[in-house]
Amino acid sequence: MPRFFIDTDDGDRLDRDEEGYDLSDSAAARIEAIGALPDLARSQIPDGDRRIFTVRVRDADGTPVYEATLTLEGRWLEPARVAET
Amino acid sequence: MDAFPGDLPAPRLAPETDAADMLARKLGGFVDLDAADRAVLERVCGRARRYAGQTDLLRQGEVPDAVIAVLRGFVCRGRHRPNGACQILAYLLPGDICGPDFSDLRPMDHVVTTLSACLVARIPREVFLAMIDRHPNIARALRIARSVDEAVAREWLVSVGRRSARERLAHLFCELSVRLGAVGLAGADGYELPLTQVALSDTVALTSVHVNRTLREMRRDGLIELKGRRLLILDAERLRAEAEFDAAYLRQAGPPAHRNEGG
Repeated sequence: MPRFFIDTDDGDRLDRDEEGYDLSDSAAARIEAIGALPDLARSQIPDGDRRIFTVRVRDADGTPVYEATLTLEGRWLEPARVAET
Repeated sequence: MDAFPGDLPAPRLAPETDAADMLARKLGGFVDLDAADRAVLERVCGRARRYAGQTDLLRQGEVPDAVIAVLRGFVCRGRHRPNGACQILAYLLPGDICGPDFSDLRPMDHVVTTLSACLVARIPREVFLAMIDRHPNIARALRIARSVDEAVAREWLVSVGRRSARERLAHLFCELSVRLGAVGLAGADGYELPLTQVALSDTVALTSVHVNRTLREMRRDGLIELKGRRLLILDAERLRAEAEFDAAYLRQAGPPAHRNEGG
């Protein structure tokens, strides 16, 4: 099975995967990567109103083959609060 | 009934630890055992067998006819979902017993599977019942062991429900340190952790990707390091603090009675 590396970024810190995963193909790697996004988000939310979580898949040569992001965008709707920000 | 799939040739006891007395080590941590208690615990484990990792010892739906005693390696209780997902519900470590209530036998509602190469003894029902009938110390220790298992299950439920990824792993590593230490398989600096990535993920209910990210983060922060199949504890005090770990639920009084030299 080919090897894929899955890097993760929670907006504070990029974690570069140097160990990798043996997965059947890049489609399987995509599923692994996307599946990690909710775990990543759960570790950082709630913390601010704006955050972008990113996962990136690299193939055995290190070439990026897939990327996905999950975005948190929160905003106040109360007029007084809106004026503040 | 001896023919389990994955059976390997006769056990070969590693010199560093004599696994035959694992039950006595474990149960002796709960109650004082006398020489006769210790002798019978070794005798009932006399026919231990080796199993490869990922071997089912008890299948879901099976009605167990024996008690399983783990002498070496990691065994788990787990549940598989039809969609392929698996949740590991408990670890059975050396010295741990997986026994049904023979007075109310029910088909297994989960599987018992080896997570690593293991040495496991099966104690037939009649042998087990005779033992606890004649050895009240053992019977009492087994009741305590069962209540500790329940306390461990509560902690694991708190982990998967209400602890962060990092706290889940920190708590698990602290717990394993105490449980393995109780039978002489952990030192202050760490212990053998023969788990696959997938098994660890299925234990803490997180993706492998997030578990690995978190492990690297904990290593970077100087808490632990997973080196091959060995967990190095770099800062036990901080690890316990992060996990809010209080070992009282494991009911291991005082420092481990049996400790490997150098861990």
